[in-house]
Amino acid sequence: MRKEFVIKLADKNIGVSCIFDSTYDFCRAYITENKADFNVIVSKDDIDFESMKSARENIAEGHRVICYPDEYLETLALYRKIAEKMPAYNTLLFHGSVIAVDGEGYLFTAKSGTGKSTHTRLWKELFKDRAVMVNDDKPLLKITDSGVFAYGTPWNGKHHLGNNISAPLKVICFLKRAENNSIAPVTKQAVYGELLQQCYRPAKIDSLKKTLVLLDLIAQKVGFYQLFCNQNIEAAEISYHKMKG
Amino acid sequence: MKLKESFIMHNDGTESILISANASEFSGLVKGNKTFGCILECLATETTEEEIVLKLSEKYDADKETIAKDVQNTLVNLRKIGALDE
Repeated sequence: MRKEFVIKLADKNIGVSCIFDSTYDFCRAYITENKADFNVIVSKDDIDFESMKSARENIAEGHRVICYPDEYLETLALYRKIAEKMPAYNTLLFHGSVIAVDGEGYLFTAKSGTGKSTHTRLWKELFKDRAVMVNDDKPLLKITDSGVFAYGTPWNGKHHLGNNISAPLKVICFLKRAENNSIAPVTKQAVYGELLQQCYRPAKIDSLKKTLVLLDLIAQKVGFYQLFCNQNIEAAEISYHKMKG
Repeated sequence: MKLKESFIMHNDGTESILISANASEFSGLVKGNKTFGCILECLATETTEEEIVLKLSEKYDADKETIAKDVQNTLVNLRKIGALDE
């Protein structure tokens, strides 16, 4: 028997029809009684697609092929289906770790394994209760007339760090590992390739076109910085003081 | 020849960008100046290399030889990423 429920993500109510109870548990903090604005249905074919995609990526990256359980693959398939529809609501899925300090959101983005989560953990250590983790892996970014807002989602990384909250996004910071810490503002042109790589790229042409328009708007409304950092607490001090303005 | 439908042109006001909706086909992006954008616009409908050179010569105040070379180089690069239907 299929599991059906509604989750609220980035102010949209999404009707979900899926196979596994575990997906319901995964989404528990976002479940609402509201009427759905749109619906997504996850099928066995969608799960198989995720399995094949993951195997292809393992091979392309020179890693051994990892066989994930269908329960996990269903959560990936669900988010892919949601992310395909979200650009129509001025919202994008973005890969990065978002932390809010004094209510303002800072998003750190980089390839997996670079140290985004390590860096936001340093912020948490530095600011303690002033800092709240919005989402450690795949937040949603909603672009509005009054700015860009980062939203928590159930897809919050392997350590499940995140909350069902939103924060106005002040900065997107492109992070690179280095021995010494330094940070400087960057133009959209300088980081466009990474920006495009780190946001969900819809397969449908119209959604992709809208995504490109939304990325231009994000660049108008949010500051971009390039951070070279090590794993010392000084990295968090330097990056915050430069970006808070 | 024509730009494949899976390839999307985008202009952000400063640069022209070309990306593919099919990431397994081409997962990168190509960025270029106004001339690049103009070549892409020409390729939105069925055209030939000669027609593109002619259109650009009407639009830009540069010698035809330079334009022809720019067009040729751009088409070579677009072929490399499989962006053209021919």
